[in-house]
Amino acid sequence: MISKNLTAASTKPIILGVLKQGKSYGYLIIKKIKELSGGNMEWSDGMLYPVLHRLEKEKLIKSEWMISDDSRPRKYYEITELGKEALSVEKAQWTKVNSVLDQIWSVEPSN
Amino acid sequence: MFDLETEIKNWLRQFRRHQAFNDGGRREMEIHLRDHIEDLISEGMDERTAFNEAVKSFGEIPPMADEEFLNIRSKSIFNLIPANAMLVNNFKIAARNFWKHKFYAFINLFGLTAGLSIVFMIGLFVSDELSYDQFHDNKDQLYRVVENQYYEGQPVFPVAVTPTALAPSLLAEHPEITKITRVSTESDRFQLGDSKVVEADGLYVEAAFFEMFTFPVTKGSLIGFKDQLNAIVLSEELAQKYFPDSDPIGQTMTVNNESFIVQAVVQDVPNNSHLNFTYAKNFEHYLAGDSARSSNWGSNWLYTYVQLDENAEFNTVNEKIIGQIKAHNENSVTDIYLQPLTDIYLGEVDFTADVSRKGQMIYVKIFSIVAIFILLLSCINFMNLSTARSAKRAKEVGLRKTVGASKPQLIIQFLSESILLSIVAVFLAFGIVVLVLPFFNQVANKEFSLQLLFASEFGFKVLLGVVVAALFTGLAAGSYPAIFLSSVKPILTLNSSGFKAKQGAGLRKVLVVVQFSISVILIIGTLVVYRQLEFIQGVDLGYNKENLMYTFVLNDKAEAFADELRKQRGIQNVGGSNSHPAYIMRSTSGIDWPGKNPEEMILIHYMGVDENYLKTFEMELLEGRHFNSSDSGVVILNEKALEVMNLDDPIGQSIQAGMPLRIVGVVKDFNFKSVHNDIEPLVIFKFNDPNRLYIKYDPVDRDLAVENLTNTWNEFFPGRSLEYNFLDQDFTELYQTEQRTSRLATYFAVLAILISSLGLFGLVAYATEQRSKEIGIRKVLGASVSSLFLLLTSDFTKLVLISLIVALPIGWYSMDSWLQGFAYRMELELWIFGISGIIALLIALATVSYQSLKASNSNPAKVLRTE
Repeated sequence: MISKNLTAASTKPIILGVLKQGKSYGYLIIKKIKELSGGNMEWSDGMLYPVLHRLEKEKLIKSEWMISDDSRPRKYYEITELGKEALSVEKAQWTKVNSVLDQIWSVEPSN
Repeated sequence: MFDLETEIKNWLRQFRRHQAFNDGGRREMEIHLRDHIEDLISEGMDERTAFNEAVKSFGEIPPMADEEFLNIRSKSIFNLIPANAMLVNNFKIAARNFWKHKFYAFINLFGLTAGLSIVFMIGLFVSDELSYDQFHDNKDQLYRVVENQYYEGQPVFPVAVTPTALAPSLLAEHPEITKITRVSTESDRFQLGDSKVVEADGLYVEAAFFEMFTFPVTKGSLIGFKDQLNAIVLSEELAQKYFPDSDPIGQTMTVNNESFIVQAVVQDVPNNSHLNFTYAKNFEHYLAGDSARSSNWGSNWLYTYVQLDENAEFNTVNEKIIGQIKAHNENSVTDIYLQPLTDIYLGEVDFTADVSRKGQMIYVKIFSIVAIFILLLSCINFMNLSTARSAKRAKEVGLRKTVGASKPQLIIQFLSESILLSIVAVFLAFGIVVLVLPFFNQVANKEFSLQLLFASEFGFKVLLGVVVAALFTGLAAGSYPAIFLSSVKPILTLNSSGFKAKQGAGLRKVLVVVQFSISVILIIGTLVVYRQLEFIQGVDLGYNKENLMYTFVLNDKAEAFADELRKQRGIQNVGGSNSHPAYIMRSTSGIDWPGKNPEEMILIHYMGVDENYLKTFEMELLEGRHFNSSDSGVVILNEKALEVMNLDDPIGQSIQAGMPLRIVGVVKDFNFKSVHNDIEPLVIFKFNDPNRLYIKYDPVDRDLAVENLTNTWNEFFPGRSLEYNFLDQDFTELYQTEQRTSRLATYFAVLAILISSLGLFGLVAYATEQRSKEIGIRKVLGASVSSLFLLLTSDFTKLVLISLIVALPIGWYSMDSWLQGFAYRMELELWIFGISGIIALLIALATVSYQSLKASNSNPAKVLRTE
């Protein structure tokens, strides 16, 4: 199980990352994250929405209601150019953290 | 039994507790839940388990709401002010309140609109009056030289005109004066086609005139104007009249049978200029007519304008020039001083021989006060009605306070109501002003146009004024009710015994008294102005101004023309003179008589007439005889002149005015200026070549007289157009300021009374409404309609009576001071005050009666049924 703090910190890059693959709506985004984490990230579904709304306010993503004939109307979110930039920044940071951790853990303890 | 839809609804209901979610947000959550449930069911779960699972997975709502709320809080700066939503809400509540209480809202709106319309119109009038001569670029350096003349035993005699020789000496001796121009008003005969036309708005000016004043040249040039003796400058209007199809520059015009060359065309003089002209001739042309003219120190007849150096100190220059005339003319009693250009139009000194375009500061002041009064009246209506009806609103206030509204919030709420109302009133008032503008122009003798109202710079000022007016009115009218209502104690209002609007009743009474006092003062003012106008028009002028017309003639043919006219049917007599009987402005201190103290300077007016003049005007001869046709070197004095000269046996004695003049008669004093002035000493010369003929016609045969005049004119002056005026029309014009004031005052008084009555009507309506049950019970117990009527009306009638006691002395005092401005004034008669009081009382009674009668006659069963 991944801790709450880490989950919260990674929400932003994860959502942006999901949306970079194509526009999507709330329920589908949650579903995707759950699949990817193999159920190891503890999310309450509802907490996704304030984050989505905040990202939208920050202009990283944009949304629109889409109505199709065969399903419910759904609010689709789409990543913006600004969002893509933010994502690459996040990516660089997480990679950095990752490489630091990698190096530390690959070093054998000296006597 | 599990019902999915009901459960989803219940679940959604939780979101409503949180402000954070709007409709869209809730819908998004709902769809999420439904998608999840659908998925779970498709995996084989039953509805109940799927629902529980989806809800569990969705998580707790409150922490989510807190997160979301952070988003909303920082949504925009607009939303950072929570009061903003409240403000909109406040306006909504205000609008609903107005709709619910249409009657009172209408009274308030009508009063405010009427008040503001008047304020706007008076604002236009006042700002126009104050704008006179402000358009000159050099206005702060421009001054007119005016005189104070001091005569033995007489008050200071202020004169606007100066001698010919003053200007060059001022310019030469005082370096602070950089430019100077002499200006005299002229009227000349212009040749237009085959006929001659009199143009009355001419000036003689010097070249510096166009450098000092801002009258832009549109065609031609003023270079060399000084040396071109017969140069003439036309206004665009006159250029268009005389040269409709061609370029006027360089063309020759025949003026008084002399040739003038058009050198330049200037823009038409604006309405707000005290100097008005359609053409200007070169003053050098006048000077060239006689070499003695330029050295004349004795005769005051032209205006002198100076431009000071920018660094010159006005007071210092005034001190230096004060004795300028005395220094050059040892007998002079005249001091001079500078009058700023922008003070000329509204100046409060009553100069002799001032320009004809003259405003009256007193009317600007009076109208400004009236505007404030009328606005006050409508604000008082609003205050009274709002506080009186506070009982109705008190429950609302009580409830609001109980659930946590603060006093400032409530004040803001009530102020939004009054501001909303005044914004609406301002727009309505603006619309009314636009509609009645033509009528207002006519009454106020102004030329405001819609273009002017909406023109960029002026329009901006208007808009600014409108906005300020709306805010000011809203705050003025709303502040007291707002504070009053927001101070209501909730416990009193929510208690079933009810809140009584007794609070504030004392102030309401005071305000009603103020309203009616103002109205009564305005009624008194209207009546006095109206009566005084009638009075001065009926004053015994000392001659008969009725049935007289006059025309200008060429001097050399005047006598023969007059003789011929006298033979015509319908014409009773013809007299000639060089002056208008109501504007004798020529005066001199150069007359000597036996026994005169040579040290004393005494100013005497003079006029020249022919032997028929006094008879034509039916002036009464007290001693001696009329002139006869063979007389020369003779004069007739008026009573006042005789008194000043103190001659015991005047007939046959001689006075000196350059040459000896023998006194042949004494005429009864007659008025030869506006009746604002007292009668002054006058010497009447025998004058053989008059240029004005006064024709006394038989009122029955007026048309015949005009026809005969026209025919005779055409025989004597072929090819020249006849122009004639009726003397009584001149008198109407002489008092037109007073007549305008009278008309305006009437409208204002009517409006003031209307607004006050409307307020009273609303108050009474409310009072009787409140007392309807009491009236019902009284009726059941046997009270008669008349006793109830008396009960209801007496309260308000008392207030009106108190207003009378307040208003009558104020009205008396203010009208008495207004009348001091007239040499002839009516007595302030008691009946005027009586009538004013009765009018106010009757109107108040009529207002109160309608409601009172309605209440007294109501069926007690109906009003008591609900108890």
